[in-house]
Parts: sequence; C-alpha cells; structure tokens
Amino acid sequence: MELLSKLNSPVLYLICGAIVLFVAVICVVFAVRAYRMGEAMGIDRGKMKRVITASATFAVLPSIGILLGVIALSGSLGTPWPWLRLSVIGALHYETQVAEAASEAAGIGGLSAANMTPEAFATIALLMSFCIIWGMVLMIFNGKAYTKRLQAPAAPKEKKNGKKGLDLSGFGDIAMTAMFIGLVSAYIASYIGTIVSGAGKFAFAGTWLPLAVAVIAAAAMYVFLKIKEKTGAEWVDSFSVAGSMLIAMAAAILLGRIAG
Amino acid sequence: MEERKSAKSAYEAYLGRTHFLGRLFTVIVLLLLLAAPFVIGLYLSAAPNVPACLKAFLGVGLVYLISGIVEYLIYVPMLGAGGSYLAFITGNLINMKVPCAINAKDIVGVKSGTPENEIISTLSIATSSLVTIVVLALGVLLMIPLQPVLQSPALQPAFANVVPALFGAMACKYYRADRKVALIVLTVMTLLFALVPSLIGSTSMMVIPSGALAIVLSYLSFRKAKKA
Repeated sequence: MELLSKLNSPVLYLICGAIVLFVAVICVVFAVRAYRMGEAMGIDRGKMKRVITASATFAVLPSIGILLGVIALSGSLGTPWPWLRLSVIGALHYETQVAEAASEAAGIGGLSAANMTPEAFATIALLMSFCIIWGMVLMIFNGKAYTKRLQAPAAPKEKKNGKKGLDLSGFGDIAMTAMFIGLVSAYIASYIGTIVSGAGKFAFAGTWLPLAVAVIAAAAMYVFLKIKEKTGAEWVDSFSVAGSMLIAMAAAILLGRIAG
Repeated sequence: MEERKSAKSAYEAYLGRTHFLGRLFTVIVLLLLLAAPFVIGLYLSAAPNVPACLKAFLGVGLVYLISGIVEYLIYVPMLGAGGSYLAFITGNLINMKVPCAINAKDIVGVKSGTPENEIISTLSIATSSLVTIVVLALGVLLMIPLQPVLQSPALQPAFANVVPALFGAMACKYYRADRKVALIVLTVMTLLFALVPSLIGSTSMMVIPSGALAIVLSYLSFRKAKKA
C-alpha cells in the first residue's frame, strides 16, 4: 500500500499532468490554426462553431466512460498514470490488457496492488507506452506521403497476367475481429483452465472468481447491447465497456467474500 | 482566377506547416511518453525490466502492432492530416475520435479528402480531445479525496479483477461477431490450459497461437463464403 501512496503522490501528478497539459496545448494550436484557415478559405463561421459545439457535446459522454476506466485502473496503478494514459494516446481495453501482460512478464502474476513492486510498475508503464506507438510512428515517417497520395485520384488497378486471385477485400475487418476473438479467448480459457487444473491437473479446485467476474461482465455487456438495439440509443456505446466492467467489479467484492 | 490561385497556395502552405508541426509535436509526445516510465522509475528507485517488456511485447504487443497499422491505413483517409496527427496523439480513436469527426463531417456536409474536410476534422478532433482532457482532469481532481476509499481492503477484490471484467465484456462484444470461430478457439485453448496448467502463468504469450487459430478459421470461412 506504501507503493500505491507513492503512485498517487504529487510528483506523479506533476509528471503526468505536465504531459497532459502539453497535449492540451497541441490541441489548442491545431484548433486555432484550423479555424483561421477555415475563415481564410471562406468556410462559414457558423458552420465551424456548430462543429465545435457538436464535437464538444459528442465527447462528453465518452469522456465520462473513459473516466470510469481511470477509476477501474486506479486501484492497481494509482490515479496519475491511468489518467495520463487515458487522456493521451490510450484506450481502456488496450491499457488493461497490456498492463496485465507486463505484470505477468515482470513476475508479479497479474495486475494487482497487493503484488505490485516499483520495478513491476516501471515495466508495466514502459510496455503500456511502447505497445501503442505505431500510429504515431507511421504518422511521423509516412503521414505526409500517405495523405498526399490520398488527395490524388486513384488509378484503376490492372490484374497481373489476367490471373484471377481470391478477392480479399473485406477480409481486413474480419481478421481484426478474429484477432480480438483469439485474444479474448486466450484469457477466458485461462480462467476455465485455472478452475480445472489450477490446483493440480484436473483437480477442479482452482479459483472460480475470475471466470465468475468475466461472466457477469459479459451478461452486463449483453444487457447494454440489447438496450442499444431496442432503443437505438447510440450513447449506450460510450458506457458499455466501462459500465460492464464496473458492474462486474462491484460483483467481485461480494463474490470475493464467498470465495474467501 | 488569381484569388483562387492564392487561396490554393495558402492552403498548401497551411498543409505543409500542419505536417511540420504534426511531426514535431508527435516526436516530442512520443519521447515524453517513452521517457515517463524511466523518470517515474527514478522516483520509485527502480528501473523498468526491459527484457520482461520485450517478452510481453512478443505476446500482446504484436496484436497492437498489427492493429496500429490497420488503424493508420483506415482512419487517416477519414481524418485528414491535422486530424490524424491529433487523433494518434490523443488516442481513443474507435470509441470517440473517428465517430466524432464523422458526425461533424455529416453535420456540415463535407466530403473526405477535400480541404473543407481537413479543417472540419481537425476542429472536431481538437475539440473532442480538449473536452476529454478537461473531463478527466476534473474527475481526477474529485477522486483525490476518495483515495482512502479506493485503497480500502474491502474494494481490493474489485481492482484485482479488472482484467477478467474487461475480457468478459469484450467476449460478449466480439463473440457475437463469429460464434463458431469463438467456440472452437475457446475450446481448444481451454483444453490446452487444462492439459498444460503451467501455461496459465503465460497467458499473454498464448494470445499468439490463439489469435493465429482464430484468423486461420476466419480466413477459411471467408474463402468458403466467397467461393459459394
């Protein structure tokens, strides 16, 4: 718990806050430049103001969802670090998965305040920072060329030697979904494997708490998705992941007493 | 005619400067983000374990390398130059920046790839990023007095189960997309963990065979559907 106090100390708030502030300044610089250029191009000021108002109101609900993510991670990583990660670059599902993987690799078993060490925290923080940099790296080295190419009209593609191959258009999305199915399955299967063989091969005496929490989160998510489908309320999406997680985490407090 | 020419060259100068500033700010933010764990490590009198980091990267990091490339290829055409630099710096693309920019584009009726879209998209993403920063800063400020409650032992089972809670929610979302693939992959991985319990401690590494199996199965079903 002493480490958690350090992770919530003013020094950490200062380090993380300075980076968040710098990113806020970048946003202001880009917004002011775009607004001025818009005026010079003759875009109606009313239109631009409508875009600003609509974007601000659009962002409020997802931002509260992201804040719930900060709360969810603050118990194991302190508040300033998740605040930085979710204000800049990150996303809740990414941060949690990567933090868990780094905890395993750092030798503390899993993401928890009880087992956290200063070295494990620094390792987790580095992996969280490193794993998600690719969009930024590509923008630095290829952003200018790529956006320029997009402005030019696309030339029709010719088939080599008239050979007909399998048209792979549309497979990108499917592959991404498959990748996430694989990722989620590995973890859910590990919770089932823990019950079956965690306390000895096929002893069926391992802890059931992680699987129970996962099932409750899935059930909560199902309810959120159904509400969205039935009512068409798009805002539900902003809260579905963080909301399901918080419901399941609250249930873990009660279930933890039963599991002992 | 002259006026149109000068407006065009002003826009080109704006774009050139956007790329310059975008690259500069991205490099600075990247360096700050990568340096922060080392600086915090100094404060905690510990250094990050780089070999452990690389090991973990081979597991879960590769997934995000691929998804980062895919996001870049898909979203840059929608967001334009300024919007893309900002979106990749501030994150939360799928759950906020992309829908927010599309919403703004629809409101004023501009087309992708046009100078108007470049301006509208940048304004939209800058505004939404600032709102997130402000909401999170206010929320974090309000959380400070709640620290003793958040650290109480009674709440620890909740924070110890953040990861199962996340994967449960995500399973519901993604399994609905392809139940057959999900069932096969989950069964195979469960058998593997039950038969070789020592693998449970290296779940992040097991993401590689699990993801590969899911992609192969999805490809086979995609090919079958295309040929039919």
